[in-house]
Amino acid sequence: MSLNTTGSAREGAFVFGQGLNWFLILTVFLLGLVGVGTLYSAAGGSFDPWAWRHGVRLIIGIFLMLAVAALDVRVLYNGAYFIFGGLLLLLLSVQLFGDVTMGAKRWLDLGIVTVQPSEFIRLGMILALARFYQSIHQDVVSHFQNLFVPALIILVPVMLIINQPDLGTTIMLAVSGIGVLFLAGLNWRYFAVGAVAIVATVPLVWQRLFDYQKERVLVFLNPERDPLGAGYHIIQSKIGIGSGGMFGKGFSEGTQSRLNFLPEKHTDFVFTIYAEEMGFVGSVLLLVLFVLLLVQLAFIANQMRSQFARLVVAGIGFSLFVYIFINLAMVMGLAPVVGVPLPFISYGGTSMLTFLISIGVVLSLERQVRVEMSRG
Amino acid sequence: MLKNRSRPEVMAGFEDDATTFTRRGLVLGVSQVALFSLLAGRLQYLQVARSDLYATLAEDNRVNVRLMAPPRGNIFDRNKVKLADNDQDFQVVLIPEQAGDLDATVEKLSRLLGFSDRQKKDLLRRARRGPKFRPLTVAENLSWETFSQVNLNLPFLAGVQPRVGDRRIYSYGDATAHTVGYVGTQTQRDIEVHGNAPANMVGRSGIERYFEAALRGEAGVRHVEVNVHGRTVRELAFDPGQPGADIELTLDIDLQKFAHERMAGHSGSAIVMDTQTGDLLCMVSTPAFDPNMLSQGVDAKSWNEMVGHERKPLMNKVLRGQYSPGSTFKMLVGLAALETKVITPDEPIECTGMYSFGGEDFHCWKDEGHGPMRFEEAIAESCDTYFYEIARRLGIDNIEKMARRFNLGQPTGIEIGGEKTGIVPGRDWKRANYDAGWRTGETLITGIGQGFLLLTPLQMAVMTASLANGGLIVRPRLIKNTELVSPVPIGLDPQHLALVNRAMYKTVNRPKGTAYDSSILINGNRMSGKTGTVQVRRISKDERESGVLANKDLDWHLRDHSLFVGYAPHNNPRYAVAIVIEHGGGGAYVAAPIARDIMAELLRNEDRVRRGEIS
Repeated sequence: MSLNTTGSAREGAFVFGQGLNWFLILTVFLLGLVGVGTLYSAAGGSFDPWAWRHGVRLIIGIFLMLAVAALDVRVLYNGAYFIFGGLLLLLLSVQLFGDVTMGAKRWLDLGIVTVQPSEFIRLGMILALARFYQSIHQDVVSHFQNLFVPALIILVPVMLIINQPDLGTTIMLAVSGIGVLFLAGLNWRYFAVGAVAIVATVPLVWQRLFDYQKERVLVFLNPERDPLGAGYHIIQSKIGIGSGGMFGKGFSEGTQSRLNFLPEKHTDFVFTIYAEEMGFVGSVLLLVLFVLLLVQLAFIANQMRSQFARLVVAGIGFSLFVYIFINLAMVMGLAPVVGVPLPFISYGGTSMLTFLISIGVVLSLERQVRVEMSRG
Repeated sequence: MLKNRSRPEVMAGFEDDATTFTRRGLVLGVSQVALFSLLAGRLQYLQVARSDLYATLAEDNRVNVRLMAPPRGNIFDRNKVKLADNDQDFQVVLIPEQAGDLDATVEKLSRLLGFSDRQKKDLLRRARRGPKFRPLTVAENLSWETFSQVNLNLPFLAGVQPRVGDRRIYSYGDATAHTVGYVGTQTQRDIEVHGNAPANMVGRSGIERYFEAALRGEAGVRHVEVNVHGRTVRELAFDPGQPGADIELTLDIDLQKFAHERMAGHSGSAIVMDTQTGDLLCMVSTPAFDPNMLSQGVDAKSWNEMVGHERKPLMNKVLRGQYSPGSTFKMLVGLAALETKVITPDEPIECTGMYSFGGEDFHCWKDEGHGPMRFEEAIAESCDTYFYEIARRLGIDNIEKMARRFNLGQPTGIEIGGEKTGIVPGRDWKRANYDAGWRTGETLITGIGQGFLLLTPLQMAVMTASLANGGLIVRPRLIKNTELVSPVPIGLDPQHLALVNRAMYKTVNRPKGTAYDSSILINGNRMSGKTGTVQVRRISKDERESGVLANKDLDWHLRDHSLFVGYAPHNNPRYAVAIVIEHGGGGAYVAAPIARDIMAELLRNEDRVRRGEIS
């Protein structure tokens, strides 16, 4: 890392294309295209109903991503708390508003995409946490009094969405937040204590779960418990993936996934279709593409010069990793079915937009790597 | 703060941060690599090591499990008349993949269904565009004739399947809209709340909503064998599931319908309740809506119109409307006064049409005054001055205590949710909500049932039942087999109650009573009751001097609420009635005649049943 870089006043100014990491953009675009192809196949070789919408969202999302990439890093930094607060208000308003429009509590209808603020809040949370750690000195990160603000930043949105019966989103949010705390250098002991506390509260949480959620965990532990009911997903998904073999059945040639054996094939179980048709080789290639994305994010995070930028980029990377891992582990029968989409590939507007905008934030920070901030 | 930094001492700190960060990042990175290797290993296991096994399983994976929605339970009235049931909905679906010559099939099908050219083209376009294996709904709500024609021609219609779906029918439409409620199609959120079992419909309000669990039943399962293309070869097993349970209500649909029709044009509530069991024989909220229409789904515009409508057709006013009870509350104030002995039944209080207190004038509804008033006449003629005076003697605490003993300010405990609690004001309430002390002027206003005091129509009905049944609080009951809870005695002096009952008798049956025009005599039975007129606007001093505006000269939303509570038969009360007409005008002119007609209908029917004319 060189010490002799000096920023100039015009550092944050945006000239289209200049300083943008086109390789990162290409990686993301490729992943989105894999999604379009798989969804085309999921509908039995038809762009309707999923693939064309996915494609449109990909294009819109990429434009949004580029727009975010054009943001001045100062806007992101100074606005971090406001963005977070605004999203919290949105989350709250959807909760109140949801009662009026009957049934659709988590959604905000914006035409082509219905937006789920509970997804967006994750990015807001990462920004707010990074902003907080930028504002305190590294030596005092683990001080007890510096635990409250990060705890609030994580717990308030978690409490807001835990009311909606959506386990997956809640867990992902909490884990992403804890990841940022870890990266910020919080003392190991806190994580140890936290882990013990979580184990201790498992019985309590268990009681509060909805029946269908309990069933999912029980069936994960033993899929044969209910082979035609809840265990059905896991077994069918494994058969779909396994029958793909080394080279797969070929694009649009999958039988298992298409036979309606798999109810959520276009959302959470989209990888099953891909793996059945593309086989082991194709699946590993997709894994490599995901790893490529995460490695790029790791390198970018390491180049950053402020704690804020480092934590935002690494936090986004970690959050992406958790989504990818949990989803893939779930469809391969290594984790319970918790309802987590596969980034860029699963059908669903909010998840796609959130990840693309997050990448936009990374692009913006990387472009303005030389803008530095004092700490403490 | 942000700045472009070049000072070396800050640099040192920055290096430290970066080291910590890099170390932690490395830990996470290594774990991620390990976990990704795990995934790759798993893929290798599934797709390479065990791929033969899974390929075989896939070959055998021919058993397709289809969950089927169970029929939803029916809803009946107390005499087993069906209020909500399921109608078969005849549909025709087309599976393009199985059609063979798609054009020919569509052509034949269109002729059978009497499709226009445009409909035909539309169907063809839909069949070509979507996934080929997915069944396409061609037509719904077919007549039996058309449906059977399609069935007859099935051998010549490859890929066409007849299907029988469910549709909810409410035979009495608007009349039961709020009580029975309506259903809607299942949404993602319903699945999260009620589980993944399929259901044709999910209750959205009323009984349909609050008894969803009982009505929906359990899904049936059909195991069918399919070939590699997903076509059904044969059915292997069939479990019909558990149909939803039927529910019997305490409503009497004839009375309900009568009341609903009698309330036409008004916005309000009408309740008839059994004074002993709490059974609700009729529970009407107007204006209503057509639940059949809402169950089919309405467009956003009509929905918004209903939501925004001044008379709130979607709201069940019986449970959710809150109104000052006005003079219908005077019985409770009277009982409190007798019990605390601030008045005797015979002590006269002079009414001059106006009562001055603390520099303020409180008006009686009768400008020229009632003259000397005693307990029974004061209720029968609804003298406000009398009640200003005894309210002053009582103080708010005693009034509040009596209201609370009647369980006002609390939910009545009816089986369907969404009930409002109303407001019983007092010193603590005022402090908590207005951060101000209680004023004696407010006691006087509460004494005539106005001011902060709010009750739901259902609470008024329960209150009236308590006055009629010798002082017991009953819990309203809408479901016939809800267990009866034993009524809670309020602990009133029977002599005091007798006085109040006599006064309520005089209100309706003596020429000077405010509801004399609404008296009835059916087979020796009469009705007792009390009118109420609730002012919803402030009458200024200027207006008093120039003459108070009549209700008919005011905008609808400024007119008085019209109330009546009562019971019959007068000497052996079995039914309590409560009527609230929003902005209807005087209680005696609008609410009382409605109560009279409903009660007369009920007693007449009962008489006919007794004489064996109808069953």
